[in-house]
Amino acid sequence: MQADETLLRLEAVKKRFGGLVVLNNIDIVVGPNELIGLIGPNGAGKSTLFNVITAIYAPTEGRVSFRGKDITGIAPHRIARLGIARTFQLVRTFLTMTAFENVMVGAVYGAGARVKHATETANAALELVGLTARRDMRTAHMTLSDRRMLEIARAVASDPALLLLDEPMAGLNPTEIQRMVDVIRRVRCEKGISMLWVEHKVDAIMKVCSRVIVLDHGEKIADGTPRDVTQNRKVIEAYLGEPAA
Amino acid sequence: MSRASQWIAIVVVAVLALLPFVPGAVDAYYFSFLFFVFLYAVMAQSWNLVAGYGGQISLGSHAFFGLGAYTTAILWSGNYLWGSLYDSHPNIYYFDPVTMLLGGLVAAIAAVVIGLPLLSKLHGDYFALGTLGFGEIVKVIFVNGGDFTGGAFGIVAPASSFGTLRPHYWVGLGLMVATALAIRMLMRSRYGLALIAVRDDEMAASANGIDTLKVKVAAFAGSAFIAGVAGSLYTFYIFHVGPDSVFDLDWMLLPLMMTVVGGTGTILGPILGALVMYAVFDLARIVVPDYHPVISGLTIILAMLFLPKGMMRLSRKARVAGA
Ligand SMILES: Nc1ncnc2c1ncn2[C@@H]1O[C@H](COP(=O)(O)OP(=O)(O)OP(=O)(O)O)[C@@H](O)[C@H]1O
Ligand SMILES: [Mg+2]
Repeated sequence: MQADETLLRLEAVKKRFGGLVVLNNIDIVVGPNELIGLIGPNGAGKSTLFNVITAIYAPTEGRVSFRGKDITGIAPHRIARLGIARTFQLVRTFLTMTAFENVMVGAVYGAGARVKHATETANAALELVGLTARRDMRTAHMTLSDRRMLEIARAVASDPALLLLDEPMAGLNPTEIQRMVDVIRRVRCEKGISMLWVEHKVDAIMKVCSRVIVLDHGEKIADGTPRDVTQNRKVIEAYLGEPAA
Repeated sequence: MSRASQWIAIVVVAVLALLPFVPGAVDAYYFSFLFFVFLYAVMAQSWNLVAGYGGQISLGSHAFFGLGAYTTAILWSGNYLWGSLYDSHPNIYYFDPVTMLLGGLVAAIAAVVIGLPLLSKLHGDYFALGTLGFGEIVKVIFVNGGDFTGGAFGIVAPASSFGTLRPHYWVGLGLMVATALAIRMLMRSRYGLALIAVRDDEMAASANGIDTLKVKVAAFAGSAFIAGVAGSLYTFYIFHVGPDSVFDLDWMLLPLMMTVVGGTGTILGPILGALVMYAVFDLARIVVPDYHPVISGLTIILAMLFLPKGMMRLSRKARVAGA
């Protein structure tokens, strides 16, 4: 891959909370139109990685760059405007707003920063995730599954180049999970948005993603095709515990 | 707001605007009562903007009210604005838009200066305490301001004519309407969207490209501007601007209660709350002067028990249920 095509590049990223090293020496490169699964046991540091990329936390060491520009330490809203959108593990929608208003925030203030066609952008994003019928419903009255969809619609409306999804399937039933898989595929195919997708439903990741990264105890232990990753010894140990001696 | 309620609003404002022409109205008790309802409604809108819509609980409204009042009194008594025109037009400072806007502007600038550090470092309760502390500091500065602020006594504006409350009444009504319309427009704009986003979830707001500090400081400054203009209007009513009168905590507490009772985060809530609560306070003061704080306090507790989201929220709920 050409260097100038790179979207996101993490170089030797380290994050420490007090004495606890949560991310250690992480190198990751994300290119255009990639759908990358990011898996790892609880507490591996997946959400922290997202929080470092979106500047909720500053890395203790290392560098984050986006499209060749160093973005380490700049404000979260500037990162969003550069084209990195995200969802949250514990859904964060604007509860007193309607679904449409939620998505308008992304359309008006995100990377697209549209004033003119914001309404069309917002409606199209709601359509993409199948929430057109709930357009004027208050978010506080929506189901978890719809709120997760809404978060994705809001992110898509912001016209990002890269979308970080933090466990979009957590708490969803099998039907809703299938809907989510479809939505994630459509976001990639129709919008061409690259995604880094954290998920505990490993089978879904292996089916949909062409590349998988595995974190364990803050270390990147694997990065490759689903086939490579499932055969990786370290990954098997991380998921199944220490092998019997 | 529906078509029908828009018409109701227009009719009510028109009736209020024509009221001073009714013979005897100007001397009636309710005339000055209404003037104060207008003034408090403007203060309630000011608090509602930053706290109701913005979610930043400020306890410094009285400081901004006082800054507007003092700015007006100082400009007027020192004749800093109109020079020799003042000699030929002795009433030139009365309700002068430039003077009133400057009152608001001084308050807004003060809000930016203290809002930037407070809002970038302090959240929630600590921001509230910070603004309360700011109010105390401003008061002390004005008490110790020497000749410029008139010290503990304050400043007496060189009042001339205007024997009636009519112009105060109209300006008060105009301010109340203008503030409500301006905030309504603001909340329908892209800025309003950002303000609600910040109130609902600050982290999600910034993850979607909103500069949350800028949005919060702007709301705080806008709120201060409105309070400053209200303070300016009060100077034309009271003439004597002193630290104990215009920096009184009541200028913060009453509008806060009025907004909460009327409905935070709504346009009509602060107006309705100002009308109802001022009526209760005033009635209690006249009927049972000694127990006035008890009655007022009880009303607030009852309102919170039975209208936890304010009168306006109640009507919205009824509408939704009926729809
Ligand atoms: N703000 C913080 N302060 C201290 N420790 C933290 C903080 N945030 C996360 N941690 C710790 O960092 C480690 C990694 O947490 P993180 O949330 O990134 O894991 P995760 O891989 O997302 O896990 P999960 O799959 O359960 O969501 C955990 O041990 C957690 O307790
Ligand atoms: Mg997590």
